[in-house]
This record gives sequence, C-alpha cells and structure tokens, in this order.
Amino acid sequence: MTAPVLDVQGLAKHYPVAGGRIVRAVDDVSFHIAPGESVGLVGESGSGKTTVGLLVTRLVEATHGVVRFEGQSLATLPPAALRALRARLQIVFQNPWGALNPRMTIGRALEEPLVLHARLDPPGRAKRVRELADQVQLPIASLDRYPHELSGGQLQRVGIARAIANRPALVVLDEPTSSLDLSVRAGVLRLLADIRRETGLAMLFISHDLETVSQVTDRVLVMYLGRIVEAAPTRTLFASAAHPYAQVLLSASLPPDPEARLARHVLTGEIPSPTAIPAGCAFHTRCPVAVATCHATVPVRETIGADHEVACLRVANGGHRLAVRSPSPPLP
Amino acid sequence: MTIDTPARVAPLLAIENLHVEFALRGLDNRVRVARALNGVSLSVRPGEVAGLVGETGAGKSLTALAVLGLLRAPARITAGTMHFAGTPIDPARANVRGRDIALVPQSPHTSLDPLCRIGDQLVRMQREHQRITADEARRRARDALAEVRIPDPDRILRAWPHEVSGGMAQRALIAMAIVNQPRLIIADEPTTGLDVTVQADVLDTLRALVRTRGLALLVITHDLGIVAHYCDHVSVMFAGRIVEQGSVRAVFAQPAHPYTRALIGATPKRMHQSAATVGAGAPPDLYALPAGCAYRDRCPRAAPRCEQDPPDVPVGPLHSAQCHFAGGDT
Repeated sequence: MTAPVLDVQGLAKHYPVAGGRIVRAVDDVSFHIAPGESVGLVGESGSGKTTVGLLVTRLVEATHGVVRFEGQSLATLPPAALRALRARLQIVFQNPWGALNPRMTIGRALEEPLVLHARLDPPGRAKRVRELADQVQLPIASLDRYPHELSGGQLQRVGIARAIANRPALVVLDEPTSSLDLSVRAGVLRLLADIRRETGLAMLFISHDLETVSQVTDRVLVMYLGRIVEAAPTRTLFASAAHPYAQVLLSASLPPDPEARLARHVLTGEIPSPTAIPAGCAFHTRCPVAVATCHATVPVRETIGADHEVACLRVANGGHRLAVRSPSPPLP
Repeated sequence: MTIDTPARVAPLLAIENLHVEFALRGLDNRVRVARALNGVSLSVRPGEVAGLVGETGAGKSLTALAVLGLLRAPARITAGTMHFAGTPIDPARANVRGRDIALVPQSPHTSLDPLCRIGDQLVRMQREHQRITADEARRRARDALAEVRIPDPDRILRAWPHEVSGGMAQRALIAMAIVNQPRLIIADEPTTGLDVTVQADVLDTLRALVRTRGLALLVITHDLGIVAHYCDHVSVMFAGRIVEQGSVRAVFAQPAHPYTRALIGATPKRMHQSAATVGAGAPPDLYALPAGCAYRDRCPRAAPRCEQDPPDVPVGPLHSAQCHFAGGDT
C-alpha cells in the first residue's frame, strides 16, 4: 500500500462552554486518505464534519490526536514549514460569498496564493491565473470583476481555482455545492471530477447530501455526534450499510425519481446536544435496535468486510438490520 | 405514491396570469423595473399536495406572498387574478391569510417571536382570527401540537423558541398553521435547514394532515426529491413563469420543457448519464427579460421562433408546457 497523503489518529476537539461543560465536537476520529483518493465525510449538522475539516488543515488546534500530512505531523511543524505545507493542503469553504475578499478583484484573488507560494514572476503569475480561470471555466472577463458581480456558482469556481492554484496533494471541500442551485451544482461537481482526473489530487468531501457524495467519492466516513460510526467503500456503504444510523441516514435521502422505492426508517427524537452526549454508544437514545449493553459500552470500530469498518455492538451479533417501514398509502 | 389528480374537482386556489413588478430607484436615480412574475397561472385542489419547484429567484416565494397579501412596495401586482374557493382574493385586505390559507415559513427559528412562549404565540394566532376564549385557544393549541406529533405538548406550550430544536420549532409552526383550521397550507421550503432524518418526519406530518383533514398543501421547494416523493402535482417555475405543470409521475417520466429536462438531468444521480450539457449559466436578468421565451439563452433547442412568447402546449392529460417545441414538433 502506498503511504497515505493524510493519516489521522485519535483526533479530538473539545470546547469548554459556560457552566463547566464540555462540547465534544470531535472525539477519537481516525482515518486515512490515499494519494488521489476521494473520501466523503457525511453526517447531520452538529456531527463534527466541519470541525474535522478545520482540524486536518490545522485551522483549528486539536485537543488530542495526530494529523500527518505526507508523513509530517501538522501539530509539531514550525510555523514556516506549516506555511509552506499549506500550498499542498487546501480547503474550499461552504459559503462562496463569505470566502472571498469583497474588495479584491477575482484576478487578484486568484493571484494571491501564487504570490504566497509559487516562485513566479508577475508575467508568470498572470499566465497561471489565466490557466486557472480556464481550468475552472471562468470567463477571462471576470478576472477584472469583484466578487459581488459574480454568481454563486462562479464564486465557488473561484474558490476551487484558488485551492488548486499551487497543485495541492489534498483539498478539503466543506459542503462545496450546498449553497448552489441544482443546475449550477452539477457543473461544479463535474468540474471537480475533471480536476481530479487531470491532476490526481486527493479530496476530503464534507457533505450532508448523500446523493452528491455517492457520485464523487471512492470511500465514505459516516459521523454521528463527533465519532466515525462507519467507514466503507462508497459502493459498499450504499448497497449494504451496517451501522443502524447509516441505514437510517441512507433511507432518509429522497432520490429525485417518483418511481424509486423508499426503504423508510424513521428515528424517534432528535440528535442530542453535543454538550450532553449519551453514555455508551452515542446513538443508543435513537437507535431502533439498541439493547441494554449499548447504554454502557462505547463500541469500537471493527472490520466486517473489505475496507469496511463499523462501530456498533449489534453488528457483531447480527442484530442490527432494521425492519423496513412501509411507505404511507396513496390517495384513495 | 403519486396519483393523477382528478381535474373535475374545482380548484381551491386558482391563480390566473399573475404579474408582479418591482420598481427600484438605483444610485443613478433612474427607476428600473424588475419583472419578477410574468403570467403565473397555478391551481391547487383540495386533498392535493402540489409542488412549486424552481431555482433561486424564479418567483416561487413571491407567488406565495402575493396569495397571502404580503407584498409590499416596491412590489406591485400589475395584472392577474387570484381566487380562493371561488371568491376573489383581495391582496390589499389579505382576506384569506391566517384563516383560510396558512403559511409554514422557511426558517423556523427566525419566524417565531423570540420574546413570546410558543403556547402564547399559538393562542395569539387564534385570537387574531376568531372569537375564542383564551382557555379554549390554549386547549386547541395543545391539541394542534399533539396532532403534529410533538411528544410532550405541555412542555412545548411553555417553552421559549430558543429552547427547542429546529425540527421542533418547525413542528410548532406547522401547529400554528393548522390551529385555525385552514383549507390550504403553503409551506415555503419547510425542511431546508433541517437534518435529513428529521426532514422525513416533518414531511410525513404535513402529508398526514392533507390526507386526514382533506386540506390542500402547496409545497415550495428546490428539492426534486421532495417533489418526487411527497407531491401529487408539480409546477416548474423559471423567470416568473410556470414553464411546465402536470402530475409528478408524468412530469418526471416525460418532461416536456427543456428547463425541466435540465433540472431533472442535473440531479447528481443522472448527471453522469446525460451527455447533454445542462443549460448552464445564471438565471436571466429580471431587469432586462428578453421578449419571448426567457429560457432561450440557455436552451439547447432555441430557434428564431423562441423570440415569440411560447404557447401553453398540452402534452398529456393534465400536463402542459410553455415551449414552442413541447408538442413534439421538431
């Protein structure tokens, strides 16, 4: 096996909040990304997805755990080395309107990462800016414009172009398409697929949209309340998710096809507050197949198939399959 | 799960040829007119879940605001009629809002009054629209919360909005919408911002109300998955017009307007199958809408005759599209 581009072991982020309580935003998260691999990170709001993205780019300091990028531990790197490394470890944020300086032209915004990291003279940078604009299918005329003059889809293309400007090895994409309209979203996803094919970069694709994740990733990590509950190749997960939460999450997505059959599982209650994560398996308060031991024992991730790991006490004894609820009857 | 709606039932809500404009004075002191709705015709029948789908700026929410009498200057209705159960809707008097037609707004937390307990808001909602004692209103408020499957209605009655989750707040708003026994509920993006595992429960609750109470429900959404699985009928909006409408099954099986085809083709699952490029690009500039079909700049089939207003072409039972080529004519 080739050395992973990103290797994360036992990552945790705890925030103290008023009243002496602690928000365990991320707890005991371990995973790796191979060069050129696209890994999805899915979960509901509050599950810790975005925090993982910020931790692996060291935009937020971890409480525990180790993040190794191309073999180097991010936490112990001196500032100068970390700055240099950032050229190869990039992030694209969810909200393209908030991610760009409103007083900088698009051309200047694209040039900025080159000024910081590339050894290019001004004509060389100008050439590379035009190449980037071309690569993300931005009209050359937009280089002289300001962010407010561009549409959301165009701004997200600018964000992607900035991220790939210095030919990174890994890009973290935090919900890159969730603020975009459907027809625009398709174009951005296609662009990401093209860039991956051309440059061989690896991606950590953070999203709550399972339809999208199923199309752009090789492997998926499912998070619930700060922990990874299941990790599997995308195809395996969508065909036979093992963790009860993953099964529920998959069944809740609505394919845009009225003829598609839905296997509906409905959860009782809502996601607990991260300041009061239930003891034992964090999912036991909503889990349809929880048993007494789930209230006390934190499940560890166990391998159940090729590259397929699950943290569930019920999976071991085969009692995790959920009964399918029939869809509501049609109009009389 | 979707069926063809019988056309024989008289519509509860009927919008005909509605036009809405915004006249805005720019920094250069010139007045520019944005033509936001350009002849919307839409009807919703009792017992039906109707979907109104389209992208940002298409005019979906604006249509709802017009029906509810919530348009304010600089928005202006310049043409068209709206009827509720055969009676004209007076947009200036808002004679249907809150009583016959209720709104479930998009963002639950910003729609609740943060300084008022949820129970008190439900009581206020009733006493605004009918003569009822506070005790009776409170009893009905509790029943409404129970009907939308809130597990502990007495606690929620006393709760402040900040104390409840987004899913719970949205359910409280649905309770507020049904508490005056309306005949039509307009739900504007009712589950955007909710988690998927909660989304299904909220949508199930809304649809159960339609089925058990015989209400009509108009769901405004950009999510074709919701349309596919929760709606009986769908209207597709583009640049202030309904460019296609029909039963959900017919529209998804045989979309007749190029924009509908692009929308359905743009969903991730079908993205790789369809070689045809989605009519990419920004939505048209409402300040400078071209004559004729507004979609023609993005349309792969655009032809000279698209500079003429497209006719509303029937393409199947209860299924029509506003496109010169919709009739199968090539």
